[in-house]
Amino acid sequence: MTDHDTSPDAGATYAFLILRLWLGTRALLTGIEKFADMRTTTIPLLDADGKPDASGAMVEVQEKFYAFSNYHAVPDSLADSLAREPLLPGFLLSPFYAVLGWALIAVGLTLLVGFFSRISLLIMGALYVALTAGLILIKQDGGVSWLAIHIGLVAMALALSKHNRFSVTRS
Amino acid sequence: MSSDSSDPSGLDRRRFLQLVSAAGLGLMAGGGLWGAEAGSTSAKPPSETFDIAIVGLGAQGRILLDAIQKIPTVRVVAICDIWEYSATYVQRLLKKSDIMVNVYEDHRTMLEKEKTLTAVIVATPDFWHAPVTNDCLSAGLHVYCEKMMSNTLEGARSMVAAMRKSGKLLQIGHQRRSNPRYVVARNRIVRGDAKALGRITAINGQWNRAAGTDFGWPAKATMKPDHLAKYGFKDMHQFRNWRWFKALGGGPLSDLGAHQIDIFNWFLDAYPTRVLASGGTDYYQNHEWFDNAMVIYEYQTAEGPVRAFYQVQTTTSAGGGYYEQFMGIDGSLKMSENPKITALYHEAAGKSWDQLLKSNLLVATKVAPAPADAAKVDARETAALASYQIPVVLTKAIHQPHLENFFNSIRGKATLNCPADEALRSEIAVFKAIEAVETKMPVTCKPEDFIV
Repeated sequence: MTDHDTSPDAGATYAFLILRLWLGTRALLTGIEKFADMRTTTIPLLDADGKPDASGAMVEVQEKFYAFSNYHAVPDSLADSLAREPLLPGFLLSPFYAVLGWALIAVGLTLLVGFFSRISLLIMGALYVALTAGLILIKQDGGVSWLAIHIGLVAMALALSKHNRFSVTRS
Repeated sequence: MSSDSSDPSGLDRRRFLQLVSAAGLGLMAGGGLWGAEAGSTSAKPPSETFDIAIVGLGAQGRILLDAIQKIPTVRVVAICDIWEYSATYVQRLLKKSDIMVNVYEDHRTMLEKEKTLTAVIVATPDFWHAPVTNDCLSAGLHVYCEKMMSNTLEGARSMVAAMRKSGKLLQIGHQRRSNPRYVVARNRIVRGDAKALGRITAINGQWNRAAGTDFGWPAKATMKPDHLAKYGFKDMHQFRNWRWFKALGGGPLSDLGAHQIDIFNWFLDAYPTRVLASGGTDYYQNHEWFDNAMVIYEYQTAEGPVRAFYQVQTTTSAGGGYYEQFMGIDGSLKMSENPKITALYHEAAGKSWDQLLKSNLLVATKVAPAPADAAKVDARETAALASYQIPVVLTKAIHQPHLENFFNSIRGKATLNCPADEALRSEIAVFKAIEAVETKMPVTCKPEDFIV
């Protein structure tokens, strides 16, 4: 091979690596965020010197925390809208919600370490297609466009997947 | 006179335990029974736990009692009310909590017989505030008295004189002054280094209530005319609705407005220079005091003039609730005892509030929406303002911090948040507004009017 021949391969390798890392990060953190919630805690109000305010006032502050019990696949308002759609089979919604967060975390991890990347991309694409179907039916065109960008990136990654390097498995 | 329903000289289990524990505390302190010296004017602070009495057991007295029951370091040992129906109700209520109290009809009898008292809570009708408070102070007791101090300026001034003569503490029930949200708002947002509102130019306050009916009473609880007359009431209707009669109370500007006008003065650290007002008996034909009033105060502060509008409506709630809104160049603060009504609004060109947010003094509630040009009615319409809240929480009964401040001041561990002389200056501003309503003329307030 000449230098001229290897340059495109190196570029494609890095292009796939970047896509894989981006999509992996996107999926992993999106999945983890489904276990996040906000809670209110009460702490002493501090003065300018960092000591408790002379009034003894307590303030409520919001803090983010993660717990399995916080799990919510989609916002309640979205779930309500999807549940009202006659073309969406109700018996599929609950299992879909049950696996969505876990599937995104799993896909995110496998993409980041490069473990069965092609299969992972296919699963990720399938999840986004399923979500897109729901958003089309409830006329969330903004969300559909948002997912279309993700689908495009997944498709691009699949097209470049033969250049997979820096991974646990080559497939 | 006295309608004691339990024998003050009797020694039930609870009283016995109180005496034993008081004796123990006294011995530990190296002295005698402190309680026996309650009537003295000694400067010696009382022990951690001490005895108190409540005079006046109407709605306000019961609210205070409810808050007091959440404070474990004071013991209610006596209650007093001219209406046996009300006194018996409260006595039974306390008995359910295993609190046995001596019951009196006349506060003077109570003062003669109760020798362990350290302080008295006064929540009678306004025209009894001065006589009861002054008698208690003369007996060497500290007093927490509800506002208004009196229905007359002379009565209020006599209370300050009695306080000074006795050397005892007299706290007035402007409880917002001990509310941590109000304290923080005044000291760290409006005043202090932050001065978050910039120069304040205007204030808007109100307390509006829906029209209602006068208070009634159970027929079996009707007091005899001579009994009512002995305590200054014409009949039962007047007794139950004393707030509306000029010889007994101060009307809505006094009942409701006094709290908020006090906040005007306290936040500005100034007193008005002129008052314009209008009011009238527009709806209730059997009341002496006006039921609606609108007042404009003019202030001259160190930063410039401030105009304050205050309205009290007792014929419509208007859905607006009760609040005091301070409006400045950089933003405005809408304060209320109801935290849901409290809000701050940042002027688009105002100085940054980022430091207040970082210090947990404010929390953002809403991002200012982008102005929709097509929806504007007026080309000069100001953009909607970013909204904030004060995250300070009060987890106690609304009057509890003010009562705790009073009790801790008695122990020498705090200073009063609303001593009588300070309260009187604010109440003078209320009397000036009432004068403006009644004379239908602007009233000038001279600095010497507020010297007490």
